[in-house]
Amino acid sequence: MTASKVELPKKPGIPGAIIFSLVFAFVLTVVTMITVEFSLTEIFSNFGRRNLVADGLLNPDFGQILSERSLSAFIETLQLAVLGTVLGGGMSMFMAYWATEFGNPIRWLRAIVRTFNNVVRSIPDLLWALLFVTAVGIGILPGLLALFFFSMAVVTKLTSDTLDGIDMGPIEAAKASGSGLISMLRTAVIPQILPSYTSFVLYGFELNLRASAVLGLVGAGGIGSRIEFFRSRGDWSEVWGLVLMFFLVVFLVERFSVTIRRRLV
Amino acid sequence: MISFKNATVEYQPGVKAMDNLNLEIKEGEFVVVVGLSGAGKSTLIRTINNLVPLTSGELYVDGEAVHDLSRKKMRALRSRIGMIFQGFNLVDRATVLQNVLMGRVFKLPTWRTVFGVYPKADQQIAAKALDRVGMLDRAYSRATDLSGGQRQRVGIARALAQEPKVILADEPVASLDPPTSHAVMQHLQKINQDLGITTIVNLHFLDLATAYGERVIGLREGKLVFDGPGSECTEEVFEGIYGRSLTAEDTLSEEA
Amino acid sequence: MSELTLPKKAIDWFRNITTLAIVAAVVWSLIGLEIKWERLIDLPADLFLIGTLMFGNLDIADFPNLAGAMWESISIAWVGTLIAALFAIPLSFLAAENLVGRPIAWVIRQVFNILRAVPEVILAIALIPIFGLTPLTGVLAIGIGSIGTLGKLFYEVIESIKKNPLEAADAVGANKLVRFRWGVLPQVMPEMTSFVLYRFEVNIRASAVMGLIGAGGIGNDVALALRFKDWEVAGMGLLIVILGTILVDAISGAARKQIIKGSNAKLPSAVEV
Repeated sequence: MTASKVELPKKPGIPGAIIFSLVFAFVLTVVTMITVEFSLTEIFSNFGRRNLVADGLLNPDFGQILSERSLSAFIETLQLAVLGTVLGGGMSMFMAYWATEFGNPIRWLRAIVRTFNNVVRSIPDLLWALLFVTAVGIGILPGLLALFFFSMAVVTKLTSDTLDGIDMGPIEAAKASGSGLISMLRTAVIPQILPSYTSFVLYGFELNLRASAVLGLVGAGGIGSRIEFFRSRGDWSEVWGLVLMFFLVVFLVERFSVTIRRRLV
Repeated sequence: MISFKNATVEYQPGVKAMDNLNLEIKEGEFVVVVGLSGAGKSTLIRTINNLVPLTSGELYVDGEAVHDLSRKKMRALRSRIGMIFQGFNLVDRATVLQNVLMGRVFKLPTWRTVFGVYPKADQQIAAKALDRVGMLDRAYSRATDLSGGQRQRVGIARALAQEPKVILADEPVASLDPPTSHAVMQHLQKINQDLGITTIVNLHFLDLATAYGERVIGLREGKLVFDGPGSECTEEVFEGIYGRSLTAEDTLSEEA
Repeated sequence: MSELTLPKKAIDWFRNITTLAIVAAVVWSLIGLEIKWERLIDLPADLFLIGTLMFGNLDIADFPNLAGAMWESISIAWVGTLIAALFAIPLSFLAAENLVGRPIAWVIRQVFNILRAVPEVILAIALIPIFGLTPLTGVLAIGIGSIGTLGKLFYEVIESIKKNPLEAADAVGANKLVRFRWGVLPQVMPEMTSFVLYRFEVNIRASAVMGLIGAGGIGNDVALALRFKDWEVAGMGLLIVILGTILVDAISGAARKQIIKGSNAKLPSAVEV
């Protein structure tokens, strides 16, 4: 047998796309760090210094749980989150349906729904709250509206992505038997996406819960106004007291939602 | 009961899935439709409940002019037509009973469907439908837990729950093995004989067509090329319909 | 025909109780909030008014400033997310039950849970007295706030890796480091990168909000403009926020799709984020 050299095929280079992205990411990081004036020394020196905030954290005052004002603000926070999520989540089922091809065969109408959703989603919840406060004044209504719009947009996006992948079979069957829109959604669509949809709504609830805590900072109701009250007075013990109690609630809600999600699968 | 007059379906200019069809089907008939894939079997079935609209011509079903029907009346007509699919089209995560109750949806107010609160009478109808196909004891099983044959029986029960005048079956046994296919076909046959429901079945297994087809309709390129009793369907007849000689794939099994 | 009896149906306690609980919660909230629903009547008119004020007279001269502020927000989000990733990656390996023992993993996971629960805005408020009203505050707030979420996503991916490449590495006699490099890393890198990018998209919004309370970025400009009724500036600012966010979402989303496509992994479910 002649010992001939075997030529390896030409080695494919690392895809240009990857090189490009890495370089881009690197440059982006450097530029952004300059923009924010990132400085490790700043961080360390400041962290080391003694300050009221840390003191308050180590010494939180939970007494606020007995305060009527704070307690009702807490409850308000929870209620806003629940209502905002239920309304937003409920509406998003329809919005998501109108954003899909089988639900909305008219192309331009679909595009409008999707664009509207994207725009709403691109404005952060607190900014929505500020806008509504500017428009209708302070109170809980602007807070509720903000939570409604933002969580609706988030859940709609997630749900419509899922809807794009469902089995059309049961839908065809429902249409063939003369079912109307709502009945069809209820019997053919919802059962297929229920676990995902519930997950999404629960996610929306977690987002809303966090948002509703700070709505008060712009005057839209909830515990945020109490936090701001104590913060402006420098009463960090009280601030942390409220914040930590809030953590507890969020933590419990999260445990609850995890259990539900597990059961649903 | 069903009447096609010069009916044509043209998906794209020049491509006729139904070509000037003239066909009359009387109430209570059991009709099998055969033809190659793309010959127009699916189209034929789907025009009857207007899932596919006619491009031209007329179609009358149960006294209604399908080619000219309002949305509302269309839905009403569809509720009188039960459809059975090759892919079963069941809601996997729902129970057998919930799937069958889907057949009652048109006749009930929306809120009942949304909250899943069905009256006793409708539950009875669903139960009887399930009993007829022998699936009553599996009423609360999830659809995913069933075999193919069982699922199709649930599909039949769902159609029956509509208390339909017409049953359309689009290749109902194409995904099933021979014994199960015969079982399903026998269910359909019995339902037609016992309840007098006009039944139209698409099949591509020719031995099944001969066995169960009281009346066989042959389609080729959208045109009607054969219309006669199953007993008259010899191999030559089928070769005429198909336009080619038969192969092993055209029959379900050696023994009927 | 006689009546047929359907087989007995098992009562799903869990489902009924949960449904009841949810309905109760909704009713409680509805009543408790005492919403003045009449205010809704004026809403469309109010919104329309604000809209025309904000967008009716856009002044292009405002653009450079506000665009710069938006860039600052984007930068805050990017650096913050990277910092979070930097900490989250090693920690997540310590939280993976298939790599370390259960006790250690549990501890780290609770740390993640605590960090996840904090709204970044609260963190920012706490950090302002320490670091001042600077972008750095925003960066740290976002950075610390995202460690928990990223960490959770990361360890879930790590725990879901397939054994086969690891088996292969063992079969060729690789040492621990090589096994990690060729067995674990390739499986988790695409998804992790994807999560980081998704978190970046989320953080853009957080960073705009940071600005509302003064920690740098466009939120600041918009909030001030609204407070002083400088409508055109507010309108331009809002527009820039929308466009900037959509732009970042689009680019980041496309990058994520490419990464996942290249690795054939499942698209990350945004739910856990």
